[in-house]
Amino acid sequence: MSLRRLPPGFREENIDLDTEEFFVNMGPQHPSTHGALRLALRLDGETIIEVVPHFGYIHRGIEKQAESMSYLQYIALSDRQDYLTAIQNNWGVCLALEKGLGIGVPERGEYIRVMLAELGRIASHLVFYACFGGDLGGQTALLFGFKEREMIHDILDEVTGSRLTTNFFRPGGSVHDVPDTFIPRVTSFLKHLEKTMVDYERFLSTNIIVLERTKGIGILSKEDAIAYGCSGPVLRASGVSYDVRKNDPYGIYSQLDFNVPVTYNGDTYDRYVVRIAEIHESIKILRQCIKQFPEGPYRGQEKASIRLKPGSYYSATETAKGLYATYVVAVSGDKPYRIHTRGPSFANLAALNTMVQGHKISDLVSILATLDPVIPEIDR
Amino acid sequence: MGIMNAVPGLLDPIPGGKHLVNMLDYVANWARANSLWPLTYGTSCCAIEMMSSSMARYDIARFGSEVFRASPRQADLFIIAGTITSKMAPALQMLWEQIPGPKYAIAMGACTISGGPFMYDNYSVIRGANTLIPVDVFIPGCPPRPEALFHGLLTLRDKILRESFRNPWKEGEAIDQPYADRWSEASKAWAELEKIKDEEQAEARRQFKENNPDYKSPYKAVRVKKDAFPEVPRPEAPLIGLSATDLFSIALEQDSSITLYNSDSNEISPDRPNDMPLDIIVSKEKYVELISFLKNDERTNLNYLIDVTAVDWESHFDVITQLMSIEKGHKLFVRVSLPKDDSIEEEKRATSILAEIPSISHLYPAAEWKEREVFDMFGIHFENHPDERRLFVDHDFKGYPLRKDFTHPHIMKRPV
Ligand code: SF4
Repeated sequence: MSLRRLPPGFREENIDLDTEEFFVNMGPQHPSTHGALRLALRLDGETIIEVVPHFGYIHRGIEKQAESMSYLQYIALSDRQDYLTAIQNNWGVCLALEKGLGIGVPERGEYIRVMLAELGRIASHLVFYACFGGDLGGQTALLFGFKEREMIHDILDEVTGSRLTTNFFRPGGSVHDVPDTFIPRVTSFLKHLEKTMVDYERFLSTNIIVLERTKGIGILSKEDAIAYGCSGPVLRASGVSYDVRKNDPYGIYSQLDFNVPVTYNGDTYDRYVVRIAEIHESIKILRQCIKQFPEGPYRGQEKASIRLKPGSYYSATETAKGLYATYVVAVSGDKPYRIHTRGPSFANLAALNTMVQGHKISDLVSILATLDPVIPEIDR
Repeated sequence: MGIMNAVPGLLDPIPGGKHLVNMLDYVANWARANSLWPLTYGTSCCAIEMMSSSMARYDIARFGSEVFRASPRQADLFIIAGTITSKMAPALQMLWEQIPGPKYAIAMGACTISGGPFMYDNYSVIRGANTLIPVDVFIPGCPPRPEALFHGLLTLRDKILRESFRNPWKEGEAIDQPYADRWSEASKAWAELEKIKDEEQAEARRQFKENNPDYKSPYKAVRVKKDAFPEVPRPEAPLIGLSATDLFSIALEQDSSITLYNSDSNEISPDRPNDMPLDIIVSKEKYVELISFLKNDERTNLNYLIDVTAVDWESHFDVITQLMSIEKGHKLFVRVSLPKDDSIEEEKRATSILAEIPSISHLYPAAEWKEREVFDMFGIHFENHPDERRLFVDHDFKGYPLRKDFTHPHIMKRPV
């Protein structure tokens, strides 16, 4: 037992070191930590022994603030948690509120929800593609990913009036109907995306530099993935086929035909592959929705005020990052007594330490990129 | 810049020297205004829009600012994109100090102007970047579109082009005025403007009526008919994994003292919806035992921890452990009710730990951080927790934010 004091968070362990042990601080302002995340690294040479993340640099007290807001106002705050999939967060919150109100959504409303959510998923995965390529040092991928994403934002912009923070769904449906141009635009976008995805995949998936830097790096075993509560593509890349859309279906996902891509190595490359495959599945879902897009009302009868029956309500949705769960405790009135969000990034990041041990710092950057964390969703 | 700033004093008295200084100004401003190198700094949503504006579609390179620098020492423009929290504020100020002058700051988004959506009832968000560093241009929006960012850049360009060595760049003084004051003054000024606008509009309407006495509006107000939107019933949820009755009976095998939450009898009603997870109450002593049984039992196999969270009721805390079986898909919420420690004096209650519960992080590694969050937010101590530190707020933060009686000097109540 040594007498020195370790920086906070590190565990006292006896480790054989080749060189002198030292500690490096990464963040909170660092281009590769995807926002205001701070990582404290314990190094042996350039090899990482242990990593301790520090949070709270973007802790905005959303859960406390929500207690003095009405339910509908909170939907706007859910946009600002995981802003890359804002539309899916809206859905998650609305699902919990609908349970409390005991209402459903008309068919057209459900289709609008699924289509926008899948567009959001593609947008989020494209940002992943861009950042992953960028973090590996390929500026071209960075430009590619954002180029196609802009087209999705054009559609979202037209439908919801906002590019990023959509705030579009309400309990019982959505704010307003989609315009007539919606279906043609999505159709033409899909046609374009399918063509370009071929190029994009060829660019990274078979690139020898990418393969060298990702195959066998940052392996997360199936047991660890479950134990750490990982979800979404991170979990599925480790060989666990759990997708809320399939295993705990909400909306109309049970009526749609799509697969859940699963890979079994659990390394950085697999997590990339799963996300790319998910883009294709989303395209498939969107195509079905376009074919079956029904006429009719887009929302149910409006409530004069949103007051939940006393009790606690839980909803789970699959965002692009994983299991996004909302837990609402209602007592009385139009304000929540407590709202808690289970963000997927928080749990996924818990597995970081086991994944990076024994790798170099540059691998940490690529591993972190494939966890695809959004920090405001962790800190809330 | 020291020498250059002395130049006007030396040259201006010489005949023709003024023109020389003007020329130097022109060249220097031209160079500065056309290649502003921004610092890669972004904390939240607005940062994504900042990234979008530097990518293929919007192409910030058209304005000479495509060189995003990761190091403050190579940058001269600070685009503050995203919410600023009190924990991040020192880092932000340090970054600003590390940027060599002449330097400029753009506050992007509502958060950096006033706190934006997080202005009221919030204990951690700083209301405005101008309270920390001098800001040149504010861009409203939540988030501002890339076009708005470009407008901000061009505005800054105009500002730079008007600078001169005669009046060298210098940091402005921070406004020493409480935030609420500025707000009330602004709202007063606004109200006056509104009044003028209303009067002008009333005048215009009167004029119009005078000129067109027989005018009738072609529009009629339309009320949305009630039957245009149907009352949709909640769809029946399918049963996934074990039913609530089965789960409850298995849990009863291990611990016969558990009860159902929010129900008078220990009977599960048959019309309970399937998508409502079973919620059981267990005593603190039996908590770990029950959880480890539920995890290892082959029938329940609750091997996935969704979350550990808590609720503060006035008299007690509820700690809720949300479990799921990843293979079978059923969920179970285990709830422990923890009475608040009454032995602590009234003044110290807000800053002291009021309850204790054993940790389950040896069963679920995922629980480690979630329990830390509950500790951080509620002040509930977890026995045998390997690393119990504050998670989100600063390590010397006083109080526990999610308690119902939490107060903080930074909180500004929303006016009703
Ligand atoms: S202004 Fe709006 S979009 Fe920008 S950081 Fe704040 S909350 Fe996010």
